[in-house]
Amino acid sequence: MTASRDIARDGPAPVTARAVSARGLASWLNSSKGLGLVLLAPAMVLVVLFFLVPVVVTGLIAFTNMSTATGITGGAYQVSPSALRVLTDQHGMGALAERLGQPTYTVDEQGLATLEEMGIEPGIVAGLRERHLGETYSSRREFERAIRALPERPATRTVKRISAAFSRSLANERFASAGALIAAAEAVEPDLDAAEKQALVEATYTGWTWTSENFRRLATSRDTERVFFNTLFFVATTLVLFNTGYAMVLAIATHYIPERAAGIFRIIWFLPRISPVVIYVLLWKWLAWDTGFLSALLSNFGVRPRNWMLDSATNAWVFVILINGFVGASMGMVIFASAIKAIPQSLFHAAAVDGAYRWQQIRHIILPHLKWPILFVTCYQTLSLLTSIDQTLLSTDGGPGGATEIWSLWIYHTALNNYAGNLQYGYGAAMALVLVVIGITLSLLYLRLFNYNALIIKPRIEH
Amino acid sequence: MTGHLRSWPIVLALSVASAPLVLMYVYLFVDTVTNAPPGSFVPNEFTLEHWSFLWHTPRGRPSIWRVTLNSLLFATSTAALVVVISSMAGYVLSRLNVPARGFFLAGVMVLHAFPAITLIVAIFLVLQVVGLYNTLIGVILVKAAIDMPLGIWLMKGFYDTVPWEIEMAGIQDGASRFTVWRKLVLPQVKPGIFALALFAFLLGWGEFILPQVLAPGGDVQVLSVYLASLIADDNNFDMALFKSVGLFYMAPVLILFFFFQGHLMNIYGGGTKG
Amino acid sequence: MRILLDKFSKSFGDVRVIEDMTLEVNDGEMLALLGPSGCGKSTTLFAICGIHKVSGGRIFFGERDMTDVPSQERNVGVVFQSYALYPHMTVAENIAFPLRIRKLPEAEVKRQMEEMARLVHIEELLGRRPAELSGGQQQRVALARALVRRPNVLLLDEPLANLDAKLRLEMRSEIRRIQLETGITAILVTHDQVEAMSMCDRIAIMNAGRIIQIATPQEMYRNPRTAFVAGFLGNPPIAFLDAVARDGWLAVEDADIRLPVPPGTRTPPDGTPVVLGIRPETLGREGDAPIRGRVTFVETQGRENLYDITLANGSVLRSIQRVSDDVSLNDEVEWRVRSDQIFVFSQNGERL
Repeated sequence: MTASRDIARDGPAPVTARAVSARGLASWLNSSKGLGLVLLAPAMVLVVLFFLVPVVVTGLIAFTNMSTATGITGGAYQVSPSALRVLTDQHGMGALAERLGQPTYTVDEQGLATLEEMGIEPGIVAGLRERHLGETYSSRREFERAIRALPERPATRTVKRISAAFSRSLANERFASAGALIAAAEAVEPDLDAAEKQALVEATYTGWTWTSENFRRLATSRDTERVFFNTLFFVATTLVLFNTGYAMVLAIATHYIPERAAGIFRIIWFLPRISPVVIYVLLWKWLAWDTGFLSALLSNFGVRPRNWMLDSATNAWVFVILINGFVGASMGMVIFASAIKAIPQSLFHAAAVDGAYRWQQIRHIILPHLKWPILFVTCYQTLSLLTSIDQTLLSTDGGPGGATEIWSLWIYHTALNNYAGNLQYGYGAAMALVLVVIGITLSLLYLRLFNYNALIIKPRIEH
Repeated sequence: MTGHLRSWPIVLALSVASAPLVLMYVYLFVDTVTNAPPGSFVPNEFTLEHWSFLWHTPRGRPSIWRVTLNSLLFATSTAALVVVISSMAGYVLSRLNVPARGFFLAGVMVLHAFPAITLIVAIFLVLQVVGLYNTLIGVILVKAAIDMPLGIWLMKGFYDTVPWEIEMAGIQDGASRFTVWRKLVLPQVKPGIFALALFAFLLGWGEFILPQVLAPGGDVQVLSVYLASLIADDNNFDMALFKSVGLFYMAPVLILFFFFQGHLMNIYGGGTKG
Repeated sequence: MRILLDKFSKSFGDVRVIEDMTLEVNDGEMLALLGPSGCGKSTTLFAICGIHKVSGGRIFFGERDMTDVPSQERNVGVVFQSYALYPHMTVAENIAFPLRIRKLPEAEVKRQMEEMARLVHIEELLGRRPAELSGGQQQRVALARALVRRPNVLLLDEPLANLDAKLRLEMRSEIRRIQLETGITAILVTHDQVEAMSMCDRIAIMNAGRIIQIATPQEMYRNPRTAFVAGFLGNPPIAFLDAVARDGWLAVEDADIRLPVPPGTRTPPDGTPVVLGIRPETLGREGDAPIRGRVTFVETQGRENLYDITLANGSVLRSIQRVSDDVSLNDEVEWRVRSDQIFVFSQNGERL
């Protein structure tokens, strides 16, 4: 056995030298910290890009008037008719607005060059340059009088053409910066004071600006109240009736029937969850539309065919809650069913010996064991219902007449998709911010409630 | 335990309650291959005309195959991203002694509960600014980011079941932490990775609102957006066509669910949203 | 290779588990870390192999300070209680894994792997996966994997705990055989005194994070330093009896027992309460000091009988004797104790 004895006598394996030389990145990857940060990095990037940045962006945009009209990236300065109206109405600078709106006439080299191109007699051009270069006229008549006074005495038609070549107007002109705007305005109106400049810049800006208007609007709008109560009603009803209530019925009922039948029912009630939402809602539409199954069935009993999903607010709510509830029930069903399965069989046996009937079994054994699962499902689904959008969007789209408009859908309609075409990003973000704040608050609250600190176990390998 | 109590009344009650659902799904099949006289729901002829969308592209709409390819790309890419990122981050949270580990764990929990859909306005604007609006890449990244917290949490759970001793043995055998993860631990959680991949694929396949808002263009349309726009088109109302496209769209889901039901029910119950 | 723990300390958060422990393991020696669960023996093992960072003190392998060397470079072979075989690899791949990590040429990997498989007698199992092996076979694979890269030291963490009684006996001698054949330095962590005594050259007995005594099994059995050590070694276990020092004798007054102070024991001052440790084999028909009591329990072990005898004051002593049928339950007996073989401890458990 000398061969095996020398295993230990050889000392450290001869290969360690090679292993040591192959260090570098590998050795850093070998520490928990190094490897951990590398493996976390992609997740962190996604979290920053699609959670942290959007949260901040939502918060910022909520304080702007950003919309399709203002654009996203910022705007220019345009002396549009509406900007002049703002200048007149809001700043009381009607005179300034009028002057800026009117064309002015300045004899400059650019205009003279135009004249030469137009083929105006060189003598006239030379005369203008000689006598009037650099002069500005605020009305056409005045300028034309000056032209006529030229030694060459141009014909009336020529005078008109000449004056048109020197006509300079700020109206509808766009400037990339406030400085360019002021410079151009000063060319027309040399003695602008600071207040006038300020007002002009503000009135002509086409991009978005900071404002708290969205929140004032949200706080005072009648829609807010209506949508708020719609949402409350939707969440509470769906949660109580389906996500917990009906889920519990399903879990308990399938507990009391043979396993094979139970499996079939579980699969049936799982279909709504696994089906792509567009198809799932389509099936409900087939059921409810005026040429659909329900109408056809009821017409046999003399009921007028109609779109059951949208013909009244009450029906719309029934469908919205059914559609959302059928999807929601399956999560509770699975969680409750596994909680019931975890109840020790001996408890059921004991109860059976005691002569407890099903109802008593349910009350005294099953329900007490479902306390935490129910709390969990309630917490979880409150948040998801609060922000659920697909099913309602695809079924009633908030209708009829906004009767089933819920908060998340309202955001969608305000900021992402509406008939008017002007998407109000700022206002929508303000609405979203409300949900974001609720979402963060509730998730932090749940974290405490379910004591996730207890899950933090120190790793057993320490380096 | 309940053998002496009769179960047929419960089965009956459940059957009645389930009838509308069963009806809807049965007719999803029936209506795609049959015609029925107006006002009736009893089919009187077999037909394949409702499936003509497969070879005949309606004017103004992208080809179904293009859309299907987009959907496939979208769902597989998000699933791949979610799986790769989650299997990395989940391992860190389960096993590695990183600074602020508790904070990361709590962060994943909060993100998991937090409804990311509320950020869609901001995400929409961010994508426009960075030029990823109306691209598949943009919506894939967003979808992966939204599904990722759940993925990380599930993967952490899978890793938690791998015995510590296997990792300790690996380290004693001279393997780096990276090699231990890659060669010794990952193979142990293969079933979990498979389940998560399947799950993430189905989530991506069914997703509607994200592509609808972030990538509605014809070139990048996915099946959900395509079908929704078909349905929303009031001028061409054809329920049988909708259902055929719907069934075409849903077939992979049904097949996957049929084969891997057990895997999926656990994950769905384990805490998705909805 | 010689292993030295020099004033080693370990704490988890605020909890000090091990404080200032010094332990030397000689080259080629097999040493048992023996103690009840929670005494810090596994913590010590994890510190030696580098899974735990030490909170204080140094660890030497030979002359080299290993305290801050990562596990991967310490070259320590560990056999875990659960064996920790890689489930997705065959036996051959499991054993070859440490060699492949070291990037040895494939032919060399194969040669060393097969040599090791021969040593632990699993040549015919190389193609199987761990799930297809019995507990004993898994144990052998784990040993082979731990030894194949010629470690500086072999650590065995409760290696027999998951085996049934018969296999445990077999693996006990197998592990010792392999250790002797390879001449490797080994540390066995166990809570089972039989394992420790039968497999190891020396035993370090631990309690509450401290080493109480290090000695050969024989020495430790015959000459325990504290009552804890005496109580931990020996099966059936030693019995303890409260007594006082009286006129140069040790007396249990309410049971009418007087024993001479054993040779080599400091005679305590008159009236000092002491604790006597009496092993079952020192109480029987032969001896010098009489003890009277009632037989309250008889257990037949085949070759021998184990008796509990309850003294007048209610204390219970144990006696193991060759089987005979002249004593039965509830008999009043007068047996004798070999007073030169009893241990005298102070009230706090120190040997006098």
